[in-house]
This record gives sequence, structure tokens and C-alpha cells, in this order.
Amino acid sequence: MSRSTRRSLTLISVALSATLLASCAGTGNAEAGDDADSETGGGEAVESITFWSNHPGGSKEIEEAIIADYEEETGITVELVTAGANYEEVANRFDAAQAGGELPDVVVASDVTWFPMMLNNAITPVDELWESQEVDSENYVDSLREDYLHEDEHFAMPYARSTPIVYYNKDMWSAAGLPDRGPETWEEFAEWAPQLTEANDGLPALVLPNGSDYLDWHFQGMLWTFGGSYSSEWDVNLTAPETIAAGEFLQEQVEAGNIAVATDANSDFAAGQAAALLQSTGSLGGLTETATFDLATAFFPGPSPRTTTGGAGVAISNDIPDERKAAAMDFIAYLTNAENTATFSQGTGYMPVRKDAVESEEVQAYLEENPNFRTAVEQLAEIAPQDYARVFVPGGGARIGAALDRITTGGEDVTTVFTELQEETEEVIERDVNPQL
Amino acid sequence: MSTYAEVAPHERRHLLPLLGGYLAMLLVVLVIALPLYWIVATSLKERPDIYTVPVTWVPNPVTLENYDGVRQGVPFLTFLRNSVLITGVLTIVQVVLGVLSAFALSFLRFPGRTLVLLLIIAALMVPNQITWISNYALVSQLGWRNSFIGIIVPLAGVAFGTFLLRNHFVSLPKEIVEAAEMDHAGPFTMLWRVVLPMSWPTVIAFTLITIVNEWNQYLWPLLIAEGSDTAPLPVGLTQLQDAEGFTNWGPVMAGTVLTMLPILIVFLLLQRHMIKGLTAGAVKG
Repeated sequence: MSRSTRRSLTLISVALSATLLASCAGTGNAEAGDDADSETGGGEAVESITFWSNHPGGSKEIEEAIIADYEEETGITVELVTAGANYEEVANRFDAAQAGGELPDVVVASDVTWFPMMLNNAITPVDELWESQEVDSENYVDSLREDYLHEDEHFAMPYARSTPIVYYNKDMWSAAGLPDRGPETWEEFAEWAPQLTEANDGLPALVLPNGSDYLDWHFQGMLWTFGGSYSSEWDVNLTAPETIAAGEFLQEQVEAGNIAVATDANSDFAAGQAAALLQSTGSLGGLTETATFDLATAFFPGPSPRTTTGGAGVAISNDIPDERKAAAMDFIAYLTNAENTATFSQGTGYMPVRKDAVESEEVQAYLEENPNFRTAVEQLAEIAPQDYARVFVPGGGARIGAALDRITTGGEDVTTVFTELQEETEEVIERDVNPQL
Repeated sequence: MSTYAEVAPHERRHLLPLLGGYLAMLLVVLVIALPLYWIVATSLKERPDIYTVPVTWVPNPVTLENYDGVRQGVPFLTFLRNSVLITGVLTIVQVVLGVLSAFALSFLRFPGRTLVLLLIIAALMVPNQITWISNYALVSQLGWRNSFIGIIVPLAGVAFGTFLLRNHFVSLPKEIVEAAEMDHAGPFTMLWRVVLPMSWPTVIAFTLITIVNEWNQYLWPLLIAEGSDTAPLPVGLTQLQDAEGFTNWGPVMAGTVLTMLPILIVFLLLQRHMIKGLTAGAVKG
């Protein structure tokens, strides 16, 4: 073998081992979290904190503005990181960070992602921090605050919270000769629907987002008004007669052409392809801007409890030193103080999460001017906490959404699909949740 | 112009399959081109025009405001710079590594050669995603988060190039290689003067695949990049979409067009060389 051959061989083997190293790298990194502790432990003043967000509702600029004010007031730097395009991506990245990355101090956690984070001990209970940092937790809207409660401890604080409401096209409503209000019950909707379709070229009376876009969240409210539920605490309730009846109602309405299930329901509704839409309040801004018709909002059909809330809260990492947790709580308290809540809520369409913000003159004046936004705030009085099977069972929402797609667009038998879903959900609880509770 | 009747019968026999072939090709082109056309058309529409039903096929009026929207919505040029940098470095590294390692595996004799090849094939079978959590931890411990090096290094080693090029190298005519050896050509002379000139089409095809792949990288850069300083275009584009809100599709489509354009240009440029290389080989026969 010539010298140059040997040299190139060495080069190649170095290159190859780098390739192999890169592909098998890093399995022994369990102590990374402890490292973080020891590095910064010892009561040093916190000079900067990190906030992982997906900027819900296109709120990046608002978040940046609030942070700029905070930095000026306190001298603490806040690093705002775009940690994903949606809640799931933020959660995945947060998961990856648990394996040994640098943890953020504050992270956005959705109604569906905070519980798995808690099960993994990745986020810290906030009750003691409320006391030590003198945060008036009672001022947060009770139902929103209690959404993060597990065994007497709260694990996040409300931030970008929404609730599903009915958006309707007033022009189509009057064409059908209906009163200017949303349907009070789903029975009333079923009565109105044929009138609406007939008066509007056979277009569906209501369009719903599909299973990959939180149909499971919208259907939860419908289900409750039928007396059913996904679960009662950890008892899965999918095969109960009321639950199946609700599923069959949804399927019948789809088959009759009264309800359409669409991949981009918002666009369909905005294009005048349906008389009404069930959607989060977070869409109000965009819909108002796009719709060329007279747009109105109404309560989710009853009776109460008619629906729930969703969206995101903010949580604090568990595996960071205590002084960082305290600093993180101070920042969250600032982020959600009355003034910032009002700004955030008007900029995005999310609900004000604090009582003093709702009562503030600014918000009251805004509600006066924007009656469509008032629906969401008033509906807050009639909501209930979500079913465990959707938000606490890992992958629950997505699993239910897929099953709903099967009965709506797939036209499969409701009892069969719900029975399968029941068994699957029970299995996941048994396997992934019970051992950790 | 000759009509069907004038064509000789033996030629006529070939005409029908030919027509069928063209028809099938047209269909495939339509299936591929229609979504592309739709993206471009949507990017040129005004907001109400995007949502009208029945759909409008030709934007009326044509507007460039969505392209302005991209610039206002996200720091597009920064994302573009990041994408070019990441894709450029990754492509160079992967092609160089691929060529060198494939050359070693096909022309050099050394102990454990088969084992190395087997390891490479084994690495091919492991989906990238499996290694991400551990890679993330490693990159994080090295302090490489939110840096180009953190995005690039874990993506730089890819077994596919080695595998593809090695298979091509062993298929080269033995006589030419032996003749070069008799002329005392060292490995680098052999690689540069003998092997590569016969392999440009394959190397360029691999380069093209690599460029497209790396240009489209999403999940890994998303994990590592923390802001617009290092994030490439696919990550940046998602910022135009609204989670939970109401996505305005005009700017999203305009962003998509702008993201596709550079890759389209690269493709057109490289594709010519690919064909040239192929025909050059064929003529030599």
C-alpha cells in the first residue's frame, strides 16, 4: 500500500467513524439535568430567562412588545424562542430537551400537552410559587385556572385561552327566515338546517373542522348536551348510550348534508360555502377581516354545560434551580397581568384570562364596540372542564379526532368505531397513565 | 403533413402505443403541474379572490401584495440566507464524503472492508428520526444549540451517498481501472482522472438529491434553531401560518413559490449536465 493510499484510508476512516458516531451518538446523558442544577445553583440573581412559545394566534409581535416592557422595567432579559409552529411541536421539543438539553424556564403548554408534561415531571407545580412571589391566583378566571389542577396542585397558568363558538352568516340566516340568533340546542339546529340548506343553494348549514383540526374538541361540547362524555375522570365512557347517540346524531347530520366536515373549515365558511361554523374564538380576527358578508357569533348550542375551553397556558420547567422558577413566575405574572391580558386578548381574539382584565374599562369598551367578541366572554359562565380521555390520555385528542373522521367522512358504524376507541383508550390508560399516577 | 392513412402499416402499428404513451405522460404532467399551478395562481390572487367559490383559475386582478406580505410577515431574506448556507455546506460535505468513502470501498483493499460496507447498509436502514433525541442531547451538551454547526453536523453523515456511488464505481469497466493502475496512478489520480470523469451523471444526480433533501429539512432545524438567526426557509414558512387562528393562504403560497424557485433553478442547471453526461457515455459505447 502506497503512502498516499494509507493517507486517504485514514481520512476515509475518520470520515466514516464521524458518520457512525453521528448516527449512534448520545445515549448516556441522564445526568444532564443535574448539571444544569449544579451550574447555576446557589442563589445567584437571575439575569435572563428563556420563554418557549409558538406565538399562538400570530402573537409574536405582541409577545415581543410585552417582553420589551418587562426587560425595561426589571432589567431581566427574556429570550423568546420560537419552539414550534404549533403546541404539539413545542411539546415535542420540550420532550427532547428533557433528555439532556438546556431547558427553557417558561414553556407554552396546551390543554392537551400539559398533562403528559406533568406525568414526566417536566413541569413544576405553581401553587407555592404563587405564594412566594405574591401572585394573586384568585384573579385568574376560575374555570381557566382549574383546568391545570391535578391532585390539589396547579401545573400551569392560563395564557392564550379560547372557547368554541358558533359563527354564522347573517345574510344566509335571513334568507332562511330565521331569527337573528344561534340555535339554542342541537335539536333546534336539526330543525333549522333544512331551511338553511334550502334557502342557500343546498349549501350545508354548518361546517366543522375535521379530526386533525380539533373536531374532538368541538364534538365534546355537542356530546355533553346529549348527556354523554368521552370519560368521567378515568372511566372511559365512549360506549355509553348517550355518547353513541351523540355520535349517531353527528353522522346523520353529515349524511343529510346539514353538516359538512372540512379540512379548512374557516376558509369554506369565509367563502360563503356554509351558513355557520363551529370554531375557536381565536379565529375571530381573521374571519372578520376575510368575510365579505355580515358575520355574527353565538353561544355553542346548549343546554349547559355546553362546552369547554382550550388553547394554551404557560408552565415552568421542573428541572431548573429554585431561583429560576421564582423568576419565571414573576415573568408569567407580568405576562398575564391585567394590562397585558387586555392587549393580548384584543390583538389575538383569545379570551381575557383575568377577572380584573375583563372588568377593566378598556376591555369593557372593546366589548361594547365588538359584540362578536362578547359571546366568548359571556359563554365563560357556562363551560366545564374537559374530559380526561381527551386531554389527559397521551394522544387522546388525536385518537378521538381520527375516530370521528371515520364516522363522518368515512361513514363507518358509530357503535363499532366507538367500541374500538373505548378499548384502545382503556389500554393506553392502563399502560401509560396508571403506572405514573 | 402525412395523414394517418398515408403512414405505412408497419409504422401505424407503433402509432397507437405512442399516442397512448403521450396521453399517459400528459396525464402525469397534469397531476404534477396542477398543484404547482394552483400554488402560483393563489400567490398572485387578492385575498377575497382566494376564497371565492366557484374557484377562479386565473387571478383577477393579478397582484404581488402577497409577496410583500411574505416580506412583512417574516424575515424572508434571513431565512433564505440560512437555507443557502445550510444546504450548500451539507451538499459539499455529503458529496465529498460520499465520493471518498465509495472510492475507498470499491478500489482499495483493506481489512474489514465488507464489515464497513455492511455497517453502512445497516445505517441506511435506521430512520433518521430515531437518533434525534440523543443527537439533541449531544448537540445541546456541546453548546451547539441555535447554531449552524448544530444543525449541520448531525445531518452531514449520510450512508446513502456512499452506497449509491459505491454501486456505481464497482460497475465501471475493470479494464480502464487496471490500465490506470499499470500506469502507476495513485488513488487520488485514479479518482480524479479516471473514476470521476466516468461518473459525473451519478455524482450530479446524487448532488441534486442531496440539495433537494437538505433544502427541505424541517424537523431537525426546528429542534435546534431558536429564531430567525439560524432557521431555514421551511421552518420560517410555518410562521406565516396561524396556529388556531385564521391562516391567510396568499402569503403562505407566495412564500412557497419563493422557496421553490431556487431549487427549481438548481434543478434546471444540473439536469442539463446530467443528460450531457449520460449521452457522452452512450456515444463512447
